Amino acid sequence: MNAGIRFCLLATVAAFPFVLDAAPANSGCELKLGMIGPLSGAATSWGVALRSGAEFGAAEVNKTGGLPVGAEKCKVSVVSYDSKYTADGAAAGANYFASQNVKFIIGPVGSPEATGIKPVAQRNGQITFSTAYAKNAIEPQFPLAFHELSGPATWAPPLAKAAKEKFGFQSIVCVAPNDQGGTDIASVDAEAYRAVGIKASEEYYQRGTTNFAPIIQRILNQNPDAVDTASSPPGDAATMAKQLREAGFNGVIGRLGGPGTAEIIRAVGGVEKLGNFYWLEIVSTDDPGVKALWEEYKELMGQPAPDNTLMIPAVASSRLLLKAISKAGTIDDAAKVAEALRSLPVEDKNLGKGEWTGQKIYGINQELSFPVGMGLIINGKTVGVQKIDTVEAR
Amino acid sequence: MHGIISAGIIGIGLGAQYALLALGFTLIFGVLGVVNFAHGGFYVLGGYVGYWAVSSAGLPYPVAVLAAVVATAALGYLFELVFVERFVDEQLATMMLTVGLYLVMSTGVLAGFGPEPADFAFPVTGSWHGGGFFIPWANLIVLGVCVLAIAAVYLVLYRTDLGRALRALADDRPVARAQGIRPHLLFPLAFALATGLAGLTGAVVTPILTLSPHVGDSVLATSFMVVILGGLGSVTGSTVAAFVVGLIEAYSDVYLGGSKGALALFLLVLLILIAKPSGLFGREARRA
Repeated sequence: MNAGIRFCLLATVAAFPFVLDAAPANSGCELKLGMIGPLSGAATSWGVALRSGAEFGAAEVNKTGGLPVGAEKCKVSVVSYDSKYTADGAAAGANYFASQNVKFIIGPVGSPEATGIKPVAQRNGQITFSTAYAKNAIEPQFPLAFHELSGPATWAPPLAKAAKEKFGFQSIVCVAPNDQGGTDIASVDAEAYRAVGIKASEEYYQRGTTNFAPIIQRILNQNPDAVDTASSPPGDAATMAKQLREAGFNGVIGRLGGPGTAEIIRAVGGVEKLGNFYWLEIVSTDDPGVKALWEEYKELMGQPAPDNTLMIPAVASSRLLLKAISKAGTIDDAAKVAEALRSLPVEDKNLGKGEWTGQKIYGINQELSFPVGMGLIINGKTVGVQKIDTVEAR
Repeated sequence: MHGIISAGIIGIGLGAQYALLALGFTLIFGVLGVVNFAHGGFYVLGGYVGYWAVSSAGLPYPVAVLAAVVATAALGYLFELVFVERFVDEQLATMMLTVGLYLVMSTGVLAGFGPEPADFAFPVTGSWHGGGFFIPWANLIVLGVCVLAIAAVYLVLYRTDLGRALRALADDRPVARAQGIRPHLLFPLAFALATGLAGLTGAVVTPILTLSPHVGDSVLATSFMVVILGGLGSVTGSTVAAFVVGLIEAYSDVYLGGSKGALALFLLVLLILIAKPSGLFGREARRA
């Protein structure tokens, strides 16, 4: 084999970035928690947040000597897989984990991934805990699929109403990628705005777009009072917000979708330049318990937590999943663990009391639900996060 | 009317960026006959070198851009000299080499800088507003840099001995060799010129858009489309095609929307290629 070909093979193998973490070898009982999500591309910060949440959940248990499972104490490790925000990536991740006997998966993140993984994980006997906002994120025919947080049908109606009351806008454009990860959210957001008397239109762009100047021009041609970046990946939303402000758009920017506020503020050049901005917080981040989580993370993990709030539900679901594994007394039987999971009360050390929801929207009660929040920046000043009640929609 | 002018300005801006990227890509193919799958990687690397120079080394932005050009050109030179040169006539081997290099580069950047977008902002903010349309100052400066760089490439290729030698190699390598032109000296230079252009584009464009380890994927796809539309290996074809693609993209996105716009762009490119399979300047294919 000549030197060039050797280099190619070595380079390709060295750079093959799918499995980023390997579990440490352990002579005793070892439980591997899988994490599937985007660890590259514009949605990376969501995947990183999810991974950090799972790692924190594992570290908490390991600190106490391991997870009690039957007569043993198991060391918990996290293995992650870059599904690149794609359906095939998530399905391949589930199959890879099946080959490694990984039965419990935190993730995937996005709707295309959730669509891809559900049948495969069900067939493999794996529990998944997705954060997808798809209209069918969980379904009765996939009883091993759980949901980490409330979806748009739950939080969009009260948030749209609150945003209208706060900023008084009359028209809005909801912009998102033109796949299920975008359309399933932007369409629900738009419907929620219409329900409170706001004229709402939807704009979709090709996922992978890097220069949003033409899309921004198209939005500006509609002369809206507000623009909602919905579930656009944080990198995309940040570029759009920056280009909107550069184009002289002084209206309100909203984000009823995935977390990404930090990236948007950074890209625009600070809170002052952002002006008027509101966003969904998937939990009420100003609560003392939630605030304490960031400190706890830093103390236990020796580094700051990622600045994306998707980590918070990942911590809560990891904790609950580990508790269910312990209760079921097995690290191999996902169906038994799922049964234990459904029977556990939803109460988290940092998030407080929650509940299992989902029957009304998805037809299956497997959604972890905690109160959500609406973050506000008004006239270039951070106002804080207001707790939003979602009881009616649930 | 304002919308039409604004879309045109956006299209010209996009076209200039695509032209700069495509020029490097087509130069390597035209002179060496190598399809450089690492081209997007050099764009990303240019962005990160610029970012590192500004944020860690504290250099002024213009110096950071120069550093990005020098670093990517130097890496391109070395890569050609050490790896590509030995397999320059073997298309499969060079394809694997450049794919491997791209994976190494993107993974290296991922390991070094993390997966999240870098906080790399253009030093000039604000927009020029006039006559109902706007142009961000940053975009105007980037457009100026792109136009200057394209002019410089033309100057090098058509007004210098180096350019004449490169074009001779692209036209007919055996005859050029017989004339005393030495490919093993010029190939690394051509590679360095092309990767330096990609690095320059990365350093000036990523601050106005976004900089993350995988933004090179879409850059490679766009470069491919532009170069094929223009006629593989044709410098003039790539430049014209870049502006055609930029303008079609801008107008179709503005007037048809992001989804239909992307479809319209690909359909138009497809129609052009059906009418002229060798690209707009196909007769000049494999000529610089």
